[in-house]
Amino acid sequence: MLKRLTRWSRIKSPWILHLNSGACNACDIEIVAALTPRFDVERFGVLLKATPRHADVIIATGPVTRQIKDRIIRIYEQTPDPKFVIAVGACAMSGCVYRGAYNIMGGLDQVIPVNVYVPGCPARPDAILDGVIKLLGKL
Amino acid sequence: MTDIELMEKLKSFLGDKIVEMSNPALRRVFMKVDPKNLAAVAVSLKKDLGIWYIAAISGVDVEDSFEILYHFGHDNGSLSVRTRIPKADPHIESISPIVPGAIFYERELQDMFGIIVDHIPDPRPLVVPDDWPAGNYPLRKDWKYERPPEIIPGGKQ
Amino acid sequence: MKFTIPIGPQHPALKEPISLRMTVEGEVIRDADIRLGYNHRGLEKLAEERTWIQNIYLMERICGICSHSHTTCYVQGVEKLMEIEPPKRGLYIRTLVAELERVHSHLLWLGVAGHEAGFDSFFMYTWRDREVVMDILEMISGNRVHYAMNTIGGVRRDLDDLQITKILDGLEVLKKRSEYYFKIGANEPTFVARLAGVGYLSKERAMDLCAVGPTARASGVTRDVRKDDPYAAYDETPFDVCTADTCDVLGRTVVRIKELFESYKISEFLLKSLPAGGIAVKAPKRAKPNEVLSRYEAPRGENTHYIKSNGTDKPERLKVRAPTLANYPATVEMLKNGFIADIPLIFAAIDPCICCAERAVELVNARTGEEKALRFSELRKLADERFKNPSLKRNAVWPF
Repeated sequence: MLKRLTRWSRIKSPWILHLNSGACNACDIEIVAALTPRFDVERFGVLLKATPRHADVIIATGPVTRQIKDRIIRIYEQTPDPKFVIAVGACAMSGCVYRGAYNIMGGLDQVIPVNVYVPGCPARPDAILDGVIKLLGKL
Repeated sequence: MTDIELMEKLKSFLGDKIVEMSNPALRRVFMKVDPKNLAAVAVSLKKDLGIWYIAAISGVDVEDSFEILYHFGHDNGSLSVRTRIPKADPHIESISPIVPGAIFYERELQDMFGIIVDHIPDPRPLVVPDDWPAGNYPLRKDWKYERPPEIIPGGKQ
Repeated sequence: MKFTIPIGPQHPALKEPISLRMTVEGEVIRDADIRLGYNHRGLEKLAEERTWIQNIYLMERICGICSHSHTTCYVQGVEKLMEIEPPKRGLYIRTLVAELERVHSHLLWLGVAGHEAGFDSFFMYTWRDREVVMDILEMISGNRVHYAMNTIGGVRRDLDDLQITKILDGLEVLKKRSEYYFKIGANEPTFVARLAGVGYLSKERAMDLCAVGPTARASGVTRDVRKDDPYAAYDETPFDVCTADTCDVLGRTVVRIKELFESYKISEFLLKSLPAGGIAVKAPKRAKPNEVLSRYEAPRGENTHYIKSNGTDKPERLKVRAPTLANYPATVEMLKNGFIADIPLIFAAIDPCICCAERAVELVNARTGEEKALRFSELRKLADERFKNPSLKRNAVWPF
């Protein structure tokens, strides 16, 4: 009974943490634009939180640079279970144009396990909403 | 001031410190000086000609020397000052005491090329990560990077 | 008693990773230190292995907000290297997209500034109007950001009359709404009092530290690359350089709003006097060995590219200096002798685009050397509480 309640509350209102790991900013602006009145992701109960300890879902963009790799792992470990990761944009999926650079690891899945990939360069806010809904549907 | 006026003023204030000067396009003046005169040239530009703004400092790896360009900007165009230092002994005098805004560009030169800037107020690395192995200078032509193979999660190699 | 407070790479106020370490004594900041490098992607090395056309794709993705600035600066330089001259219509369309990008960037900044000052409804309103500009850009180019309009020798897409009418209508709507916001901003005493006197940068220090863009223009330094070194269609367009002389965050807001209105004027002038003709010329594959310096006025300041070619179809050296990198020494200067509660606002006032600078602030307690970690959300709560009673600056006036 309690399990059903927690599962229902997790689906109805996931709190997200926005993480930028060396991106060009376009995907981040589209994520923030998804909060604005036109696309309005807050009607799904999504709230943008400041700290990893309160978050259920990590939305991450950007190819992972060497300097930020340890910080990402630390943030991932600070997020309490159960946690989900959404990788937004072509950079987080495989590195986009930066593949082969000396400071880039590749996609986000080289560092932390990823649940949902949202393609696009940059991914449109509608596509980001679609990704969030698909994740909620799988829960 | 127009390009012709600028070139006249430079000749009158700096005289023999200029090795060569050219005006390849509208509002662009390029000037070559010796590395040991660099600080004196910067002081003279700031005091006598009123050019206080530095836009960028770029380094180029020519076969056995480094060519460093200081791009200054003024009210009607830009002036680029060029020097050349040998790769075997890459030392150059810092202009940060004269133009404080140049500190970040000189730190980047140190990271990327391995050029040692003497008397720099703040010699810490700027852009390379904390665990970067010393002695690797990415923008040198002979530095190549071999990417380690990627792991595809849940799939074949 | 001085403390070290690191504000680490992940924080909600800024959308980019940067690490700041600040030395504080009580509530006053004594020293600040910035750690870059979280965004360093090694672009200059990558650019040496790609041809001239492939590099346009790479340059676009340096930054998402000012992507057209980097491509235009690069393409201008390469056109000079190859000694080709794009037709007039192409230059006008390039300038039009540049001004529309400036509009969208300043509206974005206004929203962020409102959010940092605690004025969240302002944030929602300006970003809703930003969607008008995004729709116009999508109609012209096909994408909301990273509109790949530039190619070596001109632009890739043309405008027809229906699009021109739609753009003019959209600009009318934006003008009415911007005037409404300006009225709100000017007559809202708490908003003005929150911004006045914060982040002071005197004119001499701005000149010493070589600040660029609205950060310098708010301290009375008249430096605008569009007037000093005109490129594209700016030498045929009448406009004014906007400055203010209050030297603080209020001045920077005023400069950006003035630039919004100038951009509307410039865009209308360009649309009404668009010359007929082709939009691009064919470019050769190789460039002769030469070097060029290309300058451009991005929404944040001056963008400089230095390109050197060696006769092949790949560049020998491509150096990018983004405007935010030039503003960092000025930021450190502004943070000194400010309050901890003002950190988000001061940092947001230079309009940081750290991904452009490609490349963290610690607070150090000077007496004991103790380190204390403080989250940006706590900083913002501190700021909101502190400024609940702005009785000290109730007579701050909007200097328009």
